[in-house]
Amino acid sequence: MKKEFLFQNRFKKIGWILFVPSIILGILYRFSETKLKDDLEEFFTVKVFSLINDGWFSTSKYFGMVNECIIDEILLILIIFGGFMVAFSKTKIEDELVSKIRYESLVWATFFNFTIIIFATCFLFGQSYLDVMTANIFSLLFFYIIRFHFMLYKLKKSTKDEE
Amino acid sequence: MKNNLRVLRAIANISQADLAEKIGVSRQTINAMESGKYVPSTLLALKLARFFDKNVADVFELEAND
Repeated sequence: MKKEFLFQNRFKKIGWILFVPSIILGILYRFSETKLKDDLEEFFTVKVFSLINDGWFSTSKYFGMVNECIIDEILLILIIFGGFMVAFSKTKIEDELVSKIRYESLVWATFFNFTIIIFATCFLFGQSYLDVMTANIFSLLFFYIIRFHFMLYKLKKSTKDEE
Repeated sequence: MKNNLRVLRAIANISQADLAEKIGVSRQTINAMESGKYVPSTLLALKLARFFDKNVADVFELEAND
């Protein structure tokens, strides 16, 4: 039969556990300005290997060790891993109707995502634009997850009272 | 595309859930087909026809605008 590029159902739960907290923490981390954040940043600043490090205020370095706060890197990787597991794990009964909803949700999410990029490109500048671009690393996945589960919920609800 | 799954299911006296389990899809899929919201694949149409011991054309029917 045809090959499916999906994880087993049990990964979905793991995905949710990684995805939701890391998104919330990511938002908190981005917008908080507390002493705790400074302390955490200090704690998580370690020497890491970099292929390229061309900061705006320093000279470019290639293939070297750099001091870097790795909180954002960790969160982003957790969001992507978690999001992937939520988005691409099989539902309990993964049949052809679910595949169709998957496909439609992915198309919808792609359109929606790029609409936002165009809007942001036209109307947002400076730090706000950078924030949108940062969110864009995982926003396609995010919109897909929302849309896919909303459509599944709607389907479930529409068939609930019939038998 | 029209179908008479609901009628056939009533004749066979089987619930959506039981039919779904026998065919290997979710109950929602059976429901969506019965209410005309979902057009099944050829594979699923054949499986359903086989279950009711009918030809596919006896279960599913093209409509004028198809």
